[in-house]
Amino acid sequence: MNAEQSLAPAAATSAASRKRRWGPHLWPYLFALPFVLAYAAFQLYPVVYSFVLSLHDWNGISEKTYIGFKNYVQLWTNDPLFIKSLWNTLIMMLMFIPLTLILGLVLAYWTFQLTRGKRLFQTINVLPYITTPVAIGFIFSYLFDWQTGLVNLLLTKFGWLQEGFYWLQDPWGSRAIIALMVIWRNLGYFMIIFMAGMTVIPQDVYEAAKMDGSTGLHTFRKITMPLLRNITVFLVVTSVIGGLQLFDEPKLLYGGWSGSAQVGGPDNTALTVIWKFVDESFISNTRFGYASSIAYSLFVIIVFFSILSYRLTAPKEDKR
Amino acid sequence: MNAAKTAKTLMWICLVVISALSLFPFYIMIVMGTHYNEDLFKGIPIAPGGYLADNLKTVMSADFMGVYLNSLIVSVVSVVLATLTSTLIGYALAKFEFRGRKALQTFVVLTMMVPTQVGLIGYIIEMRNLGVGNTLWPVILVWAAFPFGAFFMVQFIRDSIPNDLLECARIDGCSEPGIFARIVLPIMKPGLATLATLVFLWSWNNYLLPLVTINKSEWYTLPIFISNLGIVHRTDYAARMLALSLTTVPVLILFILGSKTFMKGLTAGAVKG
Repeated sequence: MNAEQSLAPAAATSAASRKRRWGPHLWPYLFALPFVLAYAAFQLYPVVYSFVLSLHDWNGISEKTYIGFKNYVQLWTNDPLFIKSLWNTLIMMLMFIPLTLILGLVLAYWTFQLTRGKRLFQTINVLPYITTPVAIGFIFSYLFDWQTGLVNLLLTKFGWLQEGFYWLQDPWGSRAIIALMVIWRNLGYFMIIFMAGMTVIPQDVYEAAKMDGSTGLHTFRKITMPLLRNITVFLVVTSVIGGLQLFDEPKLLYGGWSGSAQVGGPDNTALTVIWKFVDESFISNTRFGYASSIAYSLFVIIVFFSILSYRLTAPKEDKR
Repeated sequence: MNAAKTAKTLMWICLVVISALSLFPFYIMIVMGTHYNEDLFKGIPIAPGGYLADNLKTVMSADFMGVYLNSLIVSVVSVVLATLTSTLIGYALAKFEFRGRKALQTFVVLTMMVPTQVGLIGYIIEMRNLGVGNTLWPVILVWAAFPFGAFFMVQFIRDSIPNDLLECARIDGCSEPGIFARIVLPIMKPGLATLATLVFLWSWNNYLLPLVTINKSEWYTLPIFISNLGIVHRTDYAARMLALSLTTVPVLILFILGSKTFMKGLTAGAVKG
């Protein structure tokens, strides 16, 4: 009896799958083909070709010379600027990822409880996220300009500072402002992602907690936060991946308002890995082979850090 | 009761302050575009000025419309390409049984993990060899295969299209492309809108790729045009701010009008995962 029951659905699904195969077998392959071809041509081939280039010494014009892993050795042992760019990137990530997470969660929790104006607050705070980074770079480099910037004007006007602070030429000032730009841009995004996670939490969980006498902060810590675990893991891992590729904000902060195209900010304290990569390959130099080894090193770093951040944040039972 | 009330008031104040901080840079940007450049630095520009028309003339004299058109072409063609290839492969993976389906699905997930920057140099040299290095093509073709889109579409089609419907159409003698065009696509409208939003936004705002491929001003897209405007009108900050407003404000208005769909689009990746 029992065996028959379990057999019946199995037979039904296999019949269904046989039915699904009805019609020419070729169609699914044809449907998948455009994506596969486009991926092979415009993404897979360049990725493989870049790896081949990273084993060569090539400036784009003269002959390529095969040099094995010498580019990588040079990069990791004899290029302090690369190490510095990696260090800068990690520092800035440490500045903006935790802050955006905490602020985004608090903002989401507050907005979620509102009976009215929920969508209004959501929409307003997401606007920075959809704004082009060029605009953000310009606006921030104006706001924090030493002479004409609004921030210094206000600070001196209210007498908090004797004279303007040189925000963009200070090593820590530059990093803090880049972190601020990233936070300003991503806060609303984090907020709506957290809110989307909160809508998924069933309402009766909250009601049961209320019945048991749990309120406010306690409910938030014991119920909301654990249930948002997966969302948090998603945000941490994606922002680690995105953070390691930081480029637009620092580049535009130093290529915008003042018109000067200073590479790397003051004493290269704002130089990120991707900026170094782009500069070596397309702006100051055309060292295609060497720059490709930067790209591949970053790829390995990204894989390493995304696994690490996943292990650190994922729920225990998912750990292997 | 009283404590709860003050807590609530505090919460409101915080929310309003943070929202104001979100909006403030936009406000400054718009206001600065309406002033005469030399007046910008005399005080703090808070109220709108009366120099908008003249600034507009300066911006337009630099072929702003042509650049705008370039950006529109790039974004629209990218959206069409990316949604088409993603939907097709999504349909194949979600609704067909065929040899190699599992492998193909794994392939799609793996493609999502590779950052595009890794192949940047190879891609640009490939484009140069194809003879389209300094045109709009490199900025468009990078969207021809959009891994996240394919992944998203597999999930969406699996959940939203009943198998019975497809079977009925087959029994009625509808051809496979006919089923796709007349049954699958219409049901998929919300998913298509979501994906189109994301691709439009990302290609419209893209800075790195056009920066390293395009150096002919006739092919500039908006982000590159504006970041180079500084060199042309070295001192005309007001005109640059106006150009920025003209670039960002239409997108912001579109976003506000369709905020429900867009918000769904932005959160699409997270909630599933």
